[in-house]
Amino acid sequence: MDLRAGDSWGMLACLCTVLWHLPAVPALNRTGDPGPGPSIQKTYDLTRYLEHQLRSLAGTYLNYLGPPFNEPDFNPPRLGAETLPRATVNLEVWRSLNDKLRLTQNYEAYSHLLCYLRGLNRQAATAELRRSLAHFCTSLQGLLGSIAGVMAALGYPLPQPLPGTEPTWAPGPAHSDFLQKMDDFWLLKELQTWLWRSAKDFNRLKKKMQPPAAAVTLHLEAHGF
Amino acid sequence: MAFFAVFQKTLLLAFLSWRTFQSEVLAEYVSLTPESLKVSTNSTCQCLQLQWSIHELPHHQELKMLFQMEISRVKPSNVIWVGNYSTTVKRDQVLHWSWESELPLECATHFVRIQSRADDAKFPELSIWSNWSSWEEVHVQHSLGPNTLLVFPKNKLVEEGSSITICYISGINHNNITCYLHDKLIYGVQLDSKASAFKLNNVPFIRKSGTNFFCEVNQTDIKSGATFFVSKVLEEPKNFSCETQDFKTLKCTWYPGVDTGLDWNIQPSQSYTLFESFSGKKQNCKHKNSCNWKITQDVQETYNFTLTAANYFRKRSANIIFNLTHRVHPMAPHSVRFQRLGATPVLMSWKVHALGNYLTLQCQVELQGDGEVIQQHSVDMKVNGKLLFGELVPDTEYMARVRCANAKHFWKWSEWTVENFTTPEAAPSEAPDVWRTVKSENRSHIVTLFWKPLSKLHANGKILFYNVVVENLDKPSTSELHAIPAPARGMKLTLDQCSYRIHITANNSVGTSPASVIIVPEDSGNRTEEVEEERIIGKEDGFFISWKPQSGDVISYVVDWCEPHQDLFCNLQWKKLGPNTTFSLISSDTFRPGVRYNFRIYGISTKKTAYLLEYKTGYSQELAPLDSPQVAIANLTSRSFAMTWKDYSTESQPGFIQGYRVYLKARARQCHPGFEKVVLSDDSVYCKYTIDDPRKKTFVVENLQPESSYEFFVTSYTGAGEGPNGTFTEVTTPDEHSHMMILIILPMILGVLLTMLSCYWKSDWVKEKCYPDIPDPYKSSILSLIKSKENPHLTIMSVKDCIPDAIEVINKPEGTKTQLLETRKPVTENEVTKPVYLYLLPEGKDSSDPGPCICFENFTYNQSATDSGSCGHVSVPLEEPPCQLGLLPSPNNLLKTLEKNYMNSLGEMPAEETSLSYVSQLASPIPGDKDSLPTNPPVPAHCSEYKMQMAVPPCLASLPLNENSSHSSMTL
Repeated sequence: MDLRAGDSWGMLACLCTVLWHLPAVPALNRTGDPGPGPSIQKTYDLTRYLEHQLRSLAGTYLNYLGPPFNEPDFNPPRLGAETLPRATVNLEVWRSLNDKLRLTQNYEAYSHLLCYLRGLNRQAATAELRRSLAHFCTSLQGLLGSIAGVMAALGYPLPQPLPGTEPTWAPGPAHSDFLQKMDDFWLLKELQTWLWRSAKDFNRLKKKMQPPAAAVTLHLEAHGF
Repeated sequence: MAFFAVFQKTLLLAFLSWRTFQSEVLAEYVSLTPESLKVSTNSTCQCLQLQWSIHELPHHQELKMLFQMEISRVKPSNVIWVGNYSTTVKRDQVLHWSWESELPLECATHFVRIQSRADDAKFPELSIWSNWSSWEEVHVQHSLGPNTLLVFPKNKLVEEGSSITICYISGINHNNITCYLHDKLIYGVQLDSKASAFKLNNVPFIRKSGTNFFCEVNQTDIKSGATFFVSKVLEEPKNFSCETQDFKTLKCTWYPGVDTGLDWNIQPSQSYTLFESFSGKKQNCKHKNSCNWKITQDVQETYNFTLTAANYFRKRSANIIFNLTHRVHPMAPHSVRFQRLGATPVLMSWKVHALGNYLTLQCQVELQGDGEVIQQHSVDMKVNGKLLFGELVPDTEYMARVRCANAKHFWKWSEWTVENFTTPEAAPSEAPDVWRTVKSENRSHIVTLFWKPLSKLHANGKILFYNVVVENLDKPSTSELHAIPAPARGMKLTLDQCSYRIHITANNSVGTSPASVIIVPEDSGNRTEEVEEERIIGKEDGFFISWKPQSGDVISYVVDWCEPHQDLFCNLQWKKLGPNTTFSLISSDTFRPGVRYNFRIYGISTKKTAYLLEYKTGYSQELAPLDSPQVAIANLTSRSFAMTWKDYSTESQPGFIQGYRVYLKARARQCHPGFEKVVLSDDSVYCKYTIDDPRKKTFVVENLQPESSYEFFVTSYTGAGEGPNGTFTEVTTPDEHSHMMILIILPMILGVLLTMLSCYWKSDWVKEKCYPDIPDPYKSSILSLIKSKENPHLTIMSVKDCIPDAIEVINKPEGTKTQLLETRKPVTENEVTKPVYLYLLPEGKDSSDPGPCICFENFTYNQSATDSGSCGHVSVPLEEPPCQLGLLPSPNNLLKTLEKNYMNSLGEMPAEETSLSYVSQLASPIPGDKDSLPTNPPVPAHCSEYKMQMAVPPCLASLPLNENSSHSSMTL
C-alpha cells in the first residue's frame, strides 16, 4: 500500500478535525464542566425524595380536612382546581415532547404548585402542619432551582411568567370552605402526579445524556471514518 | 223566648254594622298600612331584611306602633312564622327589621307580608290592624342547571349543642342523592321537588377544621358539600386573682378553660379584657391566662377587676375586688450572708426587695443538716433580716433557706432562697475509744493498741494524727511520744516488763482531744492460765454474755473479741461497759455462721489496769462438721479390729464437736450389741454407734466372724448435725488358724526353693554323672565283660568314622541344647511342626542315578503341603473318625485316602500328640515295588532311595506290626 500526497493531506485534515472536537468529548474533558448529567441525576433523586415526603404530608393534611377527604376512594370534581397545572398527558404526546418543552412544562408546573402550596400553608392552623408544609415548600423550591439548573446546563432559557397570570390564593368571602378543601385535595393530588411524571421525565433525560463513549464514535463516523 | 232571640240577633247585626262602618271611616281617614316593603337577603346570617315605611301619620309626628309579620316558605299559604315588632315611628321614617331563617334561604322561596296598628294608649282609636301588605317573594338562588347539586349553608358557624339545618337543591331526582355527615350516611326531609333539608340537633364539636357535610349523586361524578364549624361553648375564667410583687405592677392570672378558636379564620380564640371599675380603665390582655396591670403613682388601695372572655357567641366574666396590700407576693429574699461568730454560732443576714416602708414582712428561716430540718425560725423585718444560729456542730455543712410574706395580711410566701454554709472546726470533744492486746514474749510485752475513729459529732473536724505517749511508771522521767497519722487505727509497742501508762489523744487542725489512758502492768494482766474457757451459744441477734460481778475497785468492764478477716487477721473489736453491768448482748453484722468467736471479759481497775476475768467461746450459729475423720485400722484379728482417728482436729470445725458416730453395714440386718439399727429410705440397714465424748478417738469393734468382711464409716457431729457422708471402708477379718499355717508352710517353701536352686546350679554335673547323653562305651560294664570273655581285639567303633545313611528326624517340643536341626517353634493346638528336609547329598541328581547318593523325598509333606496351602492347618470335621480305614480301589486312591486321613487326623490331634513317630521306610531294591509294604527290617544298600515317609497316627502306630501288614496285604 503506497501513500500518495493527496491521501496524506486528507488524513491530516481528519486528524485536525478530531483534535478540534476532542474537548467536546465528555470522557476526555476532565477539567471542564461535567455536563448536565449529574444535575439531572440529582433532580431525579430530589423528585423521588419529594414523592416520599409528600406521601406523609398528604396523609396528615387530608386527615386534618376530615372525611370524606381522607377516604381512599374519594374523588371529588375538579371544580375550583381548574387553574392547577395538569400533570396527566397523553402518552404519545408525552413521548413526542422535546427536552426543552419537557423541562419548561416541569418548571412552570412547579412554579404554580409552589405558589398554591404556600397559600395552603397560610391557612393551616396546626403548628405541626404548618411546619411540615413549610419544610415541603422549601424542598419544592429546591426542586425548582434544580430544574432551572438543568435547563441552564442544556442552554435552555427559563420561561418568563406572563404578566397577570401569576397565580394567587385569595379565597373570597363567598367561597365555600368545602370547595376550598376540595381544591386543597386536588392540589396535593396534582403535586403527587407531577412528581411521578417528573421522575419519568428526568429518568428519560438521564438515559439520553448517559452514553459518553458513543460520542467519539459518532463524531468520527460523521467524518467518514 | 222567640221574641228575645229575634231581638238579640237584631242587636248583634246592628253592632256589627256599626263596627264595619267605623273601620271603613277610620281606614279612610288614617292609612297605617306599611308601604314600600322591600325584602333583601343576607346569606351569611341567613337573614331576611325587611324595609318599609309609614307614609302618613295622622296629627302626630311620632306614634308608637306594633307591626305584625308573616313569613311563608315555598308558597304563601305555608306560613312558617308570625311575629310582632313594636317601635316608635316617625313620619316618613324607613323602618328595618330582620328575621333569621333556620333553613338556608337558598333552598326555598320565602314570602313576607306585614300589617300594623298603633300601640299608643293616647290614641286608642288607632289601635286597629291595618290591611296586610302584599306578599313579597324572596328568591336567593335564581337559576339551577340540570346536573347541579348545591349544598347550603356555606361556612356556617354554630355553637356546640345548638341546631343547624343543612339543605341541598338539585334538579336531579332526590332518590339518587346520598348525603353524609362527617362519615355517616344521613337522611333529610324533602321540602319540594328541588330541595331537601337536614336538621341537625345538638351538634358536637369534632375538629377545628370544621365538620363536612357531603352529598353525591349515585353513579355520577356529581358531588357537593358544605363545611360548618362548631365552636365550643365559652367557659367562665376560673381562679381569677391578682397580686403584686413590687407595688408597681399587678399581675392577674386565671385559668382560661377550653379554647373556642376555629381554623380557617372562622373564629379566633376567645379574647380577654380586664376592666377596673374604680379607675374606669380597660385593657385587652395579650395572653390567654394572664394580664399585667400597671399601678399608677397615685396610690389606689382598692381595685375592682372584671375579667371578660368573649368570642362570637357569648361573653363570660369573672370579678374580684381587693385591697392592694392584701395581695402582696414578695419576691424571693436575696443577699443571704453568714457570719461566723465562733466555733458554733453563725449569724445569717438577708435582704428583701423594697415594698415601701409601711409594710412589715414575716420571714421563715429553716436550717437543715443531712436533709433534715434542725431549726425553724420566724423573723419580722422590713428590708434587712438577721438571725443567729446557735447549737451548731463544728465542721458541719448546713443548708439555710428563707422566704417571706406580708406579716399583717398574709397572701403568699415568696420563693425560697437557699444558701449553704459550713461551721468551722473545733478541737475533738472526746477521748478516742482505745483498747489493747498484750502478749508476753522473751521478757517483754508486745502491746498492740487499737482505737476507734471518733464520730463526726466528737471529731469536730478532720482528725489529722493521733498522739501516743508511753510513760514508764517505774522510771517516771522517761516517756516516749509517737505521732500516728490518721487514718491509722492502731499501733504496736514492744515494752519491757515494767509498768507503763499510755496516753492516746486525737488531734485535728484546731486542737487535741482528751486523752485515753491505758495501764500495762508488769504481769500483763492476761491470767490466761487461770481462766477457764466457757462455751456459749449465740443467737440470731448476737451473743448474750454475762459475767460474775467483781467486788471492789472495778470501774468498768471491757468485752473484746476478734472478727476474723479473709486473711485470718484478727480485727479486734471491743465493747466498754459500766461497772454495774454484768451482762451484755454483743451484736455485730459481721458475725457469720460456722465461725468461732472468742470473747474475753476484762475488768478495769481504778488504776486503769485491765484484768482478764472470763473467757467465753461460741458460734453465732453452729454448722455441721466440714469433714469426717480419716480412720486408721489397728489390731485386726479374726474376731475384732480397732478404729482410730487421732489426727482429727475438732477445733477447726464450724461447730463444737460433740462426739462421733460409727456406722457399720449390717450383716443379715442384725447389729452387734451396743449398736443401734438404722434403716434408711432405700431400705439399707446400718448399725450405728454413738461416741459422745469428742476426746475419744478410738473404737474397737468386737465379736466379729473370722474370714468376713465388714464395712464401716465414722463421722463427727455438732449441734447442727453430722459431717458429710463418706465412703465406707472395708475390713476383712483373717482366718482363725491362718497364723499356724503360715508357720509351717513358709519354711517348707523356703526349703523347696533352696533345693531347686541348688539342683539348677549343679544340673550339668548331675547329668554328667547320672545320665549322660552319650554313654561312654569304655565305661560300660558290658564292654569289660566282652573283652574278657570273647574277643580281646574287639574295639569300639568311633562315631566319627561312621558314614550315616539315614537320619531319623524326631520332632520333640522340649528341645535340648544338642538339638540343632529342629525348628523350635512352639506348637499350638492347630499347628503342626514344620517338617524338615535334610539333604546330605547335592540336589539335582536323578533318583535313578546309580551314583553313591542318598535322596530323601517326602511325598507326604510335599503333596499335603501343596494341597492344603499351609502346613497342616487343616480343619477336620469332628464326626469323622480319625482311624477309619476302608477298602480302597486303587493304590492311588489309597494314597489319597491315607493322605486324607493323615491330614484329617492332624487336624484333630492335640498339641501334645504332635510328637509323631516317623517310621523310616527303606526303599526296595526294585523301583516299581514301591507300593508294597515292607515287612523286613531295613537293609542298608549302596544306592538307596527314601520314598514316602508316613506319619502314622498314634492309634495306628500302636498296632502290632503283623496286624498292620496283614491288613495291608489284604487290602492290596
